[in-house]
Amino acid sequence: MLLETRLVAQTTHYAMGTVMTHKAFGLYAEDSLAAVSREVARIEGLLSRFLPDSDISRVNGSAGIKSEKVGLETYEVLSKAVEFSRFCPGCFDVTIDPLVTLWHIARESFAQPDAFSIQQVLPLVDYRDLILDPWEITAGLRNVGQAVDLGGIGKGFAGDKILEVFKQFDISSAYSNLGGNVVTLGAKPDGSPWHVGIQHPRQENKIIGSVSVSNQTVVTSGDYQRYFTDCQGKRHHHILSPTTGYPAESGLISVSIVSEKSLAADALSTILFVAGMEKGLELLRNLPQTEAILVDSDLQVYVTQGLRYCFQVVEGVEVTFLG
Amino acid sequence: MIGWLIALTVVTGLGIAGGIGWSKLSKEHREARSLPLNAVDFSKLNDGTYHGAYAGGMYKWRANECQVAVSSGKVTDIQLVASKDPGGKNTQHKELYDRVIQAQTLQVDTISGATLTSKAYLQAVENALVPAQHD
Repeated sequence: MLLETRLVAQTTHYAMGTVMTHKAFGLYAEDSLAAVSREVARIEGLLSRFLPDSDISRVNGSAGIKSEKVGLETYEVLSKAVEFSRFCPGCFDVTIDPLVTLWHIARESFAQPDAFSIQQVLPLVDYRDLILDPWEITAGLRNVGQAVDLGGIGKGFAGDKILEVFKQFDISSAYSNLGGNVVTLGAKPDGSPWHVGIQHPRQENKIIGSVSVSNQTVVTSGDYQRYFTDCQGKRHHHILSPTTGYPAESGLISVSIVSEKSLAADALSTILFVAGMEKGLELLRNLPQTEAILVDSDLQVYVTQGLRYCFQVVEGVEVTFLG
Repeated sequence: MIGWLIALTVVTGLGIAGGIGWSKLSKEHREARSLPLNAVDFSKLNDGTYHGAYAGGMYKWRANECQVAVSSGKVTDIQLVASKDPGGKNTQHKELYDRVIQAQTLQVDTISGATLTSKAYLQAVENALVPAQHD
């Protein structure tokens, strides 16, 4: 084995509201990880709706008043987010923030928001009201009360940017796990693919299987990742349908997307989760090099054709290969 | 005059003590935040039973100790030997341990869709396995 591939570094840190782990092989592995952490913090500084000086906070703060100048990268993410909102209207909406906030307050008081509040907030969720000006590089929201939330896409963007950092440091073998979003660079130093486990949606200490990937990303959206139980004992998860205003109930409880771009995979995992199996698979057909692992509420696992030879199932889990 | 000198000494002493205290506390916080889980290569483990401990930062708040059994090159069992959790009510570590065992028996490098939040328990497991590695 070459000397440089034996130099390995790994780090775990907290950013973007989650735990991240990065591992890199190469001569500058150690330096690359420090740069990766800095890059994640930089992106969070642009996209977080919790940081008052971020581009997104400024856009949200000026909703209904004026457009705000944003960085090129923020503009790029917002454009992509609108693209995905258009790709499946009613499944994904970049302006979902007012709903998210409503459910967040509900979570604090362990009660589901009342139907009236949801009906009041729903008209504010409309990606067509996000005005992007490519000449001025500005973004603005048409109405007061509207707000952008990049929760379904921001970590995906960070994943893509991390790979660029690794490449700048001459790393040819690395992975990052951004709170469950996995991106990989190259294969392992011995040439074999990375094995990425897929979290079991109902048993915390289990996986349903693993997928072998190199230069690919694996992003999972599940109803088990963030949820709360209300006073009546009903569980409410965090993936909201912009159509109904309630947590999506499409029959799917977990969707993993395997593809090349992490931002796209992040958006698509949410989109398929909300759209459900039938519509989701139809959407997927138009996208090259994008595969999926879907789990329905009966814990039946469905895997698309392209993963037939790289998905390995755990004993006792039932799998159907599609197509 | 002597009175003033004593007062000045006391004030300076308190200032220095406060400064040291604050720097230690912030050091503790920094350490907790940046707890590194560095590489243990699970494909290179010698059989045996290993002990690992994590001191848990300056005030030992997260101190814990574990015993890890390696058989046929695989981690087969992890037991919590000691921890700061008085009644042993917290069972979070068991799930983490199971995940470590499962992750390496299925030889996965990382897991998509899982969000690990407890690093202290994993730190001790890793510390146990560092001497178990061979080249």
